[in-house]
Formats: sequence, structure tokens, C-alpha cells
Amino acid sequence: MNRAEPLLKIRDLKVSFGMGHHEVQAVAGVSFDIFEGETLGLVGESGCGKSTTGKALMRIVEPTSGTIELDGVDLCAQKGKALRNIRTRMQMIFQDPISSLNPRRRIKDIVAEPLDCWKSVTGTERDTVVSDLLVKVGIDPQVYGNRYARQFSGGQCQRISIARSLAMRPKLLICDEMVSALDVSVQAQILNLLEDLKKEYGLTLLFIAHDLAVVKNVSDRVAVMYLGKICEIGPSNTLYEVPAHPYTKFLLGAALEADPDSPVHGDVLTGEPPSPMNPPSGCRFRTRCPFATQKCADEEPLLSEVAPGHSVACHYPLNVKTPQKRAPRTTT
Amino acid sequence: MSEFDPILLAVNDLATTFQTAGGPLPAVGGVSFELKRNETIGVVGESGSGKTVLTRTIMGLQQRTNVTVTGSVLLDGHEMVGASEMDKRALWGSEVAMIFQDPMTSLNPVMRVGKQIDESLRVRVGMSKADAKARAIELLELVGIPSPAHRYDAYPGQLSGGMRQRVVIAIALACSPKLLLADEPTTGLDVTIQAQILNLLDDLKERLHMSVILVTHDLGVVATRTSRIIVMYAGRIVEIGSTREVFSAHRMPYTRALLESSPKVSNDPHTRLVTIPGRPPNLLKLTQGCSFAPRCSYATDRCHQERPELQPADEPGHAFACWNPLPKTRKRTVKTT
Repeated sequence: MNRAEPLLKIRDLKVSFGMGHHEVQAVAGVSFDIFEGETLGLVGESGCGKSTTGKALMRIVEPTSGTIELDGVDLCAQKGKALRNIRTRMQMIFQDPISSLNPRRRIKDIVAEPLDCWKSVTGTERDTVVSDLLVKVGIDPQVYGNRYARQFSGGQCQRISIARSLAMRPKLLICDEMVSALDVSVQAQILNLLEDLKKEYGLTLLFIAHDLAVVKNVSDRVAVMYLGKICEIGPSNTLYEVPAHPYTKFLLGAALEADPDSPVHGDVLTGEPPSPMNPPSGCRFRTRCPFATQKCADEEPLLSEVAPGHSVACHYPLNVKTPQKRAPRTTT
Repeated sequence: MSEFDPILLAVNDLATTFQTAGGPLPAVGGVSFELKRNETIGVVGESGSGKTVLTRTIMGLQQRTNVTVTGSVLLDGHEMVGASEMDKRALWGSEVAMIFQDPMTSLNPVMRVGKQIDESLRVRVGMSKADAKARAIELLELVGIPSPAHRYDAYPGQLSGGMRQRVVIAIALACSPKLLLADEPTTGLDVTIQAQILNLLDDLKERLHMSVILVTHDLGVVATRTSRIIVMYAGRIVEIGSTREVFSAHRMPYTRALLESSPKVSNDPHTRLVTIPGRPPNLLKLTQGCSFAPRCSYATDRCHQERPELQPADEPGHAFACWNPLPKTRKRTVKTT
């Protein structure tokens, strides 16, 4: 893994949507790197801007400001043919597998669409490439290749979406809640498949999901978003074991483990995320945070490193002095 | 039946069959279980396993011309199967109430939420307008909605998903039911809101002495909040027992597969998940044998030919339907840490 130069470098990304006279800042200044060959998990509650971030990277929604550098090329500065060229190197897989495929098209044509757009292969090559891709995702091209997308179940549709996204041999795959609509047994199949393909194709993944257990299972590093900003980012194990941001701690506390012996968590986060139309001053989490002080309202905490590769945006980070499990919180 | 009968609900050999163009579809078959007063039972299974049809049948909602329901659902001495619409209306609300999965679609979008709560109070209990409003505000407060008097006049569209689910719960509780059927009450909600709603249901169950049937596909939801669990597969109960027993000493291979295939927060990154090969069966083409046999690594000829009935395990109340059950003395499921 080349740690020196990231594959994707995002700096101060902002996305705003106009709402009449108001403006909603869905993504309010997000910066992170993704290194080649790694999986970065992006978690947060609905409305925190994680999907918008993913879409902005593909420029499906236009970023308002900021830079997105893929291999040193700024995507935001590109347009027309140059942008289309860059997009072949990054692909996206969407949440709802059934509605992201055209029900009235044959699956081999769906998978071949990127190839057809680029006219990159000849007729016979096209068939071989498509067959190979379908085999890779576990669908028999001889039996199913000519069937229509509507004839497949959710899990199979997600396999077909994966095959389509791999057709142009992308470097970066953005997976937006790709397993949240699937049953656990199918979810496990798709997650294993993704891991296999990641190794085989040398993919780099941005894995967006709300399910903390799923994210932990696939990610090398995890970023936690709250109301349009990243509040914590770090290696998966560290972040889950010794969360430094109070929000991460509560999010993990609310995640339910399928184990009757797991403690029933007493501290449940009260209230709901505030509206992004009118975010709180200072720290965006302060309205729900039990540790908030006047400083949190006055001054916005910036992401700062508490351990190598582990950054947190909080004035009073948890677990920092003694990086051990259940370390007592040190108040300053 | 007296108030002191410990059994609130007795379901016996319940079967719900849909008559479809492709033939009869047995969505629920041969389901029997009992539920005590003030007990929470969890029903888990993948989509299409018949969880929702089961709860709808218990509620008595499954009665259109293309549905055949056989067996018996005895709720506090009242038979629900074959009861007339009038009889069932008398039971809905005061005996049994239901929370549906989607809080967005189970409320009327053009009716103020307060009106939707006091509707049942006025029709069912015959309260006056003012009394019903007062009670509705009380209920909104009970389910933890801030400034309830103000929210009484809100439309569902003005509330968030979590708040709407609280309103749905308030409607269900309006006539103090003895049994609450919660069909995926937290699916589609964020984790922090999910925890709030589950805590609320737990708390209300204790305060109002209700029994709850908690239907979910998420094993995490039932792990710490139920006393017993029913595992369903292809419309049938394949394992039933105390929550601890089902999680740690399950005998049915499907239960194990379900537990092992869920990702865990304690797993390391890139942990390989155990998968169940294949997909759930087509209910129109069920075979004579065990429905899980085609996906089961322990299946023998007998499994394909003869359907296993529920047989008791060592612990009282624990039963499973399998010809080749997993060994008795096993440690907890392998946990990769």
C-alpha cells in the first residue's frame, strides 16, 4: 500500500442545495484522503451528508467549492470529455439494486453499456468481457445473460450492478449503502464477493453505510460524519474500541449486537439531529452532547490528530490520554 | 377466560394460504405457540419467511377472498380466526393493536396527528371531543414527543421518521391493548433513533402490562429485548426457545447460519462472513421435505423427503424442527474477536 500519496484527496468539499430563499449545506467542508488499495468506511445517520459526499465525488451533484483530486488531477476543474475520461476510473454502486437497473433491458446489455459508450471493444470481445464479468460476480452468463433485469432478485441485481461498475476497470469504487436493502444471508454473500473482487481488481473503496457492523467488517479506516462534517476519522479497530468523539461513542452504543449477553446500553443519545438548514454554532453536535460547554458553542472544533492517523474534531476528546478500553474520561 | 390466566395468546396450527394464479401459496403453515401476559417474544426470519403474514393473521387483518386461514388464534379467550368483522372491531384497539413497519405510510398525510390519535378514542371508547384531545396529548407525552400540545396540531409531514413512529405507537396504545404487535418497528430508522424507540417500547410494556410480539429481521433488535424468540423459515417455525438458548444453544442449522452471517461490530476488518448458499425457496414450489434442506450442509435424503416437526430440546420450551440437529453440548457460536 502506497501511503505516500493518496489516490483520492478531498479538501474542504462543500455542497449546498438551494431551497427557495434558504440554502442547505449538505456537505459543509469535508477533507479526507483515500490511499490506494484501502477501504474507507463512511458512516453517519441519515441526512448527515454521506451520500451527497459520494455523489459529489462522482460529480453527480456539483460541489459548491473545494477540490477532489484523483491521482493528482482536480475533478472539479474538469469538464466535458476530460471529465468523462476521468469518470471511467471511478464508478459508483447505488443503494437500491432493483431501481438502479433498467427492468426492460437484458442484463448482458446492462453490463456492456459502459463498453458500448466508449466503443472500447469489438463485438466478439464485448461478449467475452461481459461473460467474464458475470462469471466473476457469480451469475452464469449462458443461462441468465439474456434475461431481463426485472427477472432477478435484489441480491442478484446487486451482483449485476457490481459487474457493470467493473466493466471499465475502475480504480475507485464508491459503494453507497449497497447492502442495506438486502437480507442478512444475501448481504454476507455480497460483502464476501466485494472483498474478493477488491483483491482481484486491486480496487480502492469508499464504503458508505449506516450499519456500523457492516462498515467495521469491510473497512481499513472509518470516517464518522455528523451534519455535513467529519467528526472523527481513524483506523477501524482504534475508532471502534477507543472512540474519541462523543458522537462516535453514542453511535457505537446504539448499535445492537446480536448477542443476548451484550449490555443493554443505558446512555442513549437523546433528541434528533438538528436541521442542516440552521446548524448550531460552534460544534455541530453540541445540542445533543452531554459534555458540551460554552466553548463548544463559541468555537468550532477542527479535526486534529490525537494519535497517528486518528483525528477528531472535538474540544474535549474522550479516551485520549490513556488509549485503552474503558479509559476514564479526563476532563481538562 | 379469567384475567389471571397466564396465557394471553394461544396460536394453534395456524396456516395462511394465498390463492394465487400460480397455485396455493402457503405463506404461513403449522404455526403454534403461546404468549404469556407481560412477555415479549421476538419473531425473526428473512424477507418472505412469513413473519408479517403471521402477525397480520393474528390481528385478523388477513381476510380477503383469496386467502384461506385455518387453525386457531385464541386471544384472551376470543377466537380471531373466522371471527366476523364486527367481532374483530370490538377487539382491535382494546385487546390487540399493531405498529406497522413504515411510519411514513401508516399515517394519513392530510390529517393532523392529534386527530388520528383521538379518532379511536372517540369511536371506540366514546369519549367527548375535549376528553379525547386531552387523552391524545397525554399519549403524545407518554411516547416522548416534546411539547405534545403543540404537536397535536402537526401534520405527519412536519415530523421526522422517529417522531412519526412515536405517533404510530401512541395510536396503537390509545385504547390500552393487552397485546401489541410490532412489525419491524425500527426498520428504516437511524441507529440512535432505533435505540430510543426500542427503549420506549420496553418501558411502555412494563408500565402498561402489555405483551409484545416484536417482528424483525435484525437479530440485534431481539437479542436483548425479548424473553423468547421464534425463528421462521419458509412460513414455518423452525426453532423456538428462550432468547439465551436460541442464541447460544440453537440446534437448527438455519438459526446458526442466520447468526453467523450477520456482521459483528467486534469483527476485525476484512473478516470473511459465513454465507448461506442459495436463496430462500419459492413458496409455490415447496417440496415434501424440510424447506431449508437445499441450502443446508447437513441435509440427508430424509431431509428432502420428510418434513421435520418441532421436537423438544433439553431446556423446557425450546424446540426445533430438524432431522440432523447440531450437537447438544456446544459452546456459544464462534465469535471472531
